[in-house]
Amino acid sequence: MLYHDVVVVGGGFAGMRAALSAKAAGANVGLISKVHPMRSHSSGSHSGINASLKPHDSWEVHLQDTLKAGEYLNNQDAVEILCKEAKTEIATLENFGMVFSRDEHGFIDVTNFSGSSIPRTAFSGDSLGHILLQVLYERIVREQIVTYDEWMVSSILVDNGSCRGVVAREFKTGDLHIVSGKTVILATGNLGKLYQFSTCSLTGTGDGQALAYRAGASLVDMEFIQYAPTAIKRRGILITEMARAMGGYLLNKNGDRFLKSYSPDLMELAPRHIINQAIFQEISEGRGEGDSVFLDMRHLNREMFSDQLRETEYLLRDLEDLNPEKDLIPVQPAMHRPIGGIQTDTKGATTVPGLFAVGECSNNGSHGAGRLGGNSLLDNMVFGRLAGEAAAGYISCDSSKIELDRVFGKEQDKFGELFNRDSTDELPGMLRRELSNIMDVHVGYRRDKLGLENALKLITELAARTKKLGISNKNAQFNMEPQMLLELEFMMQLARVMVRSALSREESRGDHNRTDYPYTDNSNWLKHTVVTQVNGEDKLHYTEVVSTRWKEMEVENGSHS
Amino acid sequence: MKYAFYPGCVSKGGTPELYEATVKVAEKLEFELEEMRDVGCTGAGVLSREISDPINARTFAKAEASNLPIMTICSTCQGVMAQAQHRLKDEKYRNYINSEFLSDEGLEYKGTVEIRHMLWAVVEDFGLDRLKNIVVRSLEGLPVAHFYGCYLRRPPELMVPPEFKKTRKTALEDVIEALGGKVVKSSGRGKCCGFPILTSNEDNSLQMCGDHTLDAKEKGAVTLVTPCPLCHLELDGKQADAAAYRGEDINMPVLHLPQLIGLALGFTAKEMAMQRHLVSTEPVEMALGFEVKA
Amino acid sequence: MEVTLKVKRYEFGNDLGSSEQSYTIEIDGQDTLLDALLQIRDEKDPTLGFRGSCRSGFCGDCTMTVHGKGAITCRTKVEEASKKSKDGVIPIAPMKLTKVVKDLIYDDEQFHWAKIKATEPWVDVASTVPDQDQKISNEQVKELRLAMSCTQCGLCDQGCVVLAIDKTYLGPGALTKAFRTVHDSRDTRYKERLDSLSGKRGMWDCAHCFEASEHCPKGIEPTDRIFDLHDKVIKEDLGVGGAKRHYKSFAASVKADGWLDEARLAIESEGLGNVKGILRLIPLAVKAALRGKRPMPYFLHKKRPGHKKIRSIFEKWEVKK
Repeated sequence: MLYHDVVVVGGGFAGMRAALSAKAAGANVGLISKVHPMRSHSSGSHSGINASLKPHDSWEVHLQDTLKAGEYLNNQDAVEILCKEAKTEIATLENFGMVFSRDEHGFIDVTNFSGSSIPRTAFSGDSLGHILLQVLYERIVREQIVTYDEWMVSSILVDNGSCRGVVAREFKTGDLHIVSGKTVILATGNLGKLYQFSTCSLTGTGDGQALAYRAGASLVDMEFIQYAPTAIKRRGILITEMARAMGGYLLNKNGDRFLKSYSPDLMELAPRHIINQAIFQEISEGRGEGDSVFLDMRHLNREMFSDQLRETEYLLRDLEDLNPEKDLIPVQPAMHRPIGGIQTDTKGATTVPGLFAVGECSNNGSHGAGRLGGNSLLDNMVFGRLAGEAAAGYISCDSSKIELDRVFGKEQDKFGELFNRDSTDELPGMLRRELSNIMDVHVGYRRDKLGLENALKLITELAARTKKLGISNKNAQFNMEPQMLLELEFMMQLARVMVRSALSREESRGDHNRTDYPYTDNSNWLKHTVVTQVNGEDKLHYTEVVSTRWKEMEVENGSHS
Repeated sequence: MKYAFYPGCVSKGGTPELYEATVKVAEKLEFELEEMRDVGCTGAGVLSREISDPINARTFAKAEASNLPIMTICSTCQGVMAQAQHRLKDEKYRNYINSEFLSDEGLEYKGTVEIRHMLWAVVEDFGLDRLKNIVVRSLEGLPVAHFYGCYLRRPPELMVPPEFKKTRKTALEDVIEALGGKVVKSSGRGKCCGFPILTSNEDNSLQMCGDHTLDAKEKGAVTLVTPCPLCHLELDGKQADAAAYRGEDINMPVLHLPQLIGLALGFTAKEMAMQRHLVSTEPVEMALGFEVKA
Repeated sequence: MEVTLKVKRYEFGNDLGSSEQSYTIEIDGQDTLLDALLQIRDEKDPTLGFRGSCRSGFCGDCTMTVHGKGAITCRTKVEEASKKSKDGVIPIAPMKLTKVVKDLIYDDEQFHWAKIKATEPWVDVASTVPDQDQKISNEQVKELRLAMSCTQCGLCDQGCVVLAIDKTYLGPGALTKAFRTVHDSRDTRYKERLDSLSGKRGMWDCAHCFEASEHCPKGIEPTDRIFDLHDKVIKEDLGVGGAKRHYKSFAASVKADGWLDEARLAIESEGLGNVKGILRLIPLAVKAALRGKRPMPYFLHKKRPGHKKIRSIFEKWEVKK
């Protein structure tokens, strides 16, 4: 039986960062990942990292920008840490060997990402994600951290209310393993596969959120789903915000920079939800080209395309036969990332002792109702570090011995039962497509009561059909069918939680848009939506937003747009 | 046509037969060769580019000054020069090289040199139809396996760019056919012969040599033909060692490009200095009906 | 459009016996081959094994062999792939030169990760002062970012003629990764790394035939990166063994005479003290001499006119070093 002090699930930004810091704090770490860490979705996450590096900036201003983008739903204790720790984190990454783009003096450069009042986003051309992932993996290799590649966690071991490790399925052999641990850190990332039109990778099936939920942890603010404004039309593949940070324009079909009607001061660098709304508005009023608008980079310095925007140029050339130096690029908003996730404190601890969560699958309130561009990666790094340290230092107060054999036996039975079921005409992939269609249509950028209730009904029916699915190939080795079935189960469960949360919040704020409640309602809704599974039912309750020094900050009722 | 003839190092050292054959064939093709003598080795991919770029720039400057295109007879020379020429297209870099390395000789490379391999000169400057017309002894279906030498093919954007695709992509095959030969497509036709790793990994080098010569043999070729003397050194010079390494006989003759052309234009094997090869070229001579010494 | 994918399938653990399975689907021609495979798995055959993650060309997971050549399937469009064959059928197989695990899934540990780990692919930064940037130029950043845009897709490795006959060679993928650490001026183990990469199966095993550069879909030009590594070793006078003797001898004769002294190169590559090695050359030398090939070494090697000018280029470069 495998044992590690800290078991990290997920090999992307947050997972690897947590693993490194746990190791540095003296823990024996094991990292489990569904794909090889270098193949994580993080590899295509080309954003920037915010930090108040420059003398004209300060963590307080960074905090204020964050609160504004989060429409004050942020937990200010988490935001304080996020902004205060940013500078140190950048220096740590630099010492890891991270390759940031430089200014003319040779120091780390910063650019303007949407929503920041001062340029503060450190970047690495248009491929920071890809570069950062490599650097983190380089450190994992250096530290000789044990990784279990192409293993999928199927459940979290809980005994007496405490987390004791995980059960994971090794794809290659099909074997189930117990990986027991003092602590588990979930860092599984996105749940974007719930949507058909999303920027998400194939791995983004919300495993961590579902696993934690089933283990008794709470999920928070699951109704907030961030859309990215510039995804390639029809494909949903993201064109990085760097295109706009480097000076790209957004045009409607008449060639107008339409953002002058929505955010004349910030234009293409307005907060994302404002740009998304603007684009949807232009399209619905007939000024889109079909259901897209255009990204215009033709006026940019040609030098950029040989370095800073090189990956963007290759992407567009390979997939769309378009040359951003000469052509307009049709783009449309796509589901991008969840804001909500597994509820944690500022050290990544969930409501289940011994279970931690970091990164995109988690939520400690740092983002509020909407993420400031460039804060996502910062969150992954800062809280990844803190969670790793906390997990390493965690002292379990529960010393009871878990009956691992019994728990393991249950899990084996579950898979055995799955394998016994013969496949039917309905295949898991088909049901997943149906589910993602429901989410796209009813739980997308704009929602209303009718649509959400309909979604709930459809999802419930779909879930029933899921129970009948079986497995065609009875050989277990490198058999992805059990994985597909498990992921589908996870997604169904999360879909219900998301819809219930969206139904509950009767206002519009940040990345949650109710067309039947289009205004932000601070008197009633300055609180978090929390969902916990109790006796198999989704139970909702609400928690207060954490305010620290900024209690006096003016929080006005007003229109959402 | 007049050329600034750049024979390279090996054609005057390890493969003197190439030089001899070239000079004779050039005359028949009415190529006026002005041999460049005061020039340095291209570096062959072994010298650091920091040294070979100035040396090649110097060669280019001299050719430019004489207003003649450079003609090479070695795929490696051609490839290395093309890469240097490409880097020297950058004005800043060229100015640096000129001022640091060439100015004291009063030389300046302006970035306009033309460099073409004899194979390309035959196809583009002389012409395949003209070549057919001056063939005196048709190869009469002689199965010939062509072996370009990797540096004449890659990087493709430099060596076979779109504007030259028509003439250069199948130049060697076209020449073989124009001479009356039959093209045998063997595994090594566009691949590396193994020469560059001869000293660092002899086993791998001999494996490559053996693979390609044996494949040509299996496919029925009577000879290989190559426009690169380094490939010749490997495929001919090291063939015996490759055979020993593989534990099987090979005995596949390897001709230089000018030799193949020369035979078709009426020269004898002796005139083409084929007796210098380490692998006997008798099978070719017999196939063409020459008297072969017993 | 309607399209048929002809997929080579392998049973788990049996990388020798394959079967072919054809799938015909209706798909938008502008969708990618990965989209097609996903559609097949979702709607027709959930048993089909293949890898894929980011589906946007950044993670390197979905490389397969298409029409016999390596391809990143999430950046290859169905219509274009279909056009390549007369009947429009698209043949898909797993990556070559490596063990197949099942269907289109190959042994990535052997092909990529083991080799990358062997190059010690991290940067040991000189300064550990917190709150402080290292000062490096944007030019260096550009060069590093180019090398790091590598997704370890394996296309260069699959095109490598040396890997085709010798799987122990590090290969262009791992050497490009090694370039990243060597070229990063913040790293403190520069010379150590260059020496280690100059060992057996390292950079000098590269035939620098430009297959790697031709196959790279990101314009990283791995062959040039390997040349960069060579140049660095030469500049620092590092390396060991035959490769070092070779490059030093080559340079020495060009410096002395203006052109290559082949006989000298052959002798010195063996090593002047290596009596056994030099004796090994004698049969070949005799054979060659009898045929009329007599390249003369050392003082018998004729100097080119202008050899002094060539020498002075070398001297200038040595000063610059």
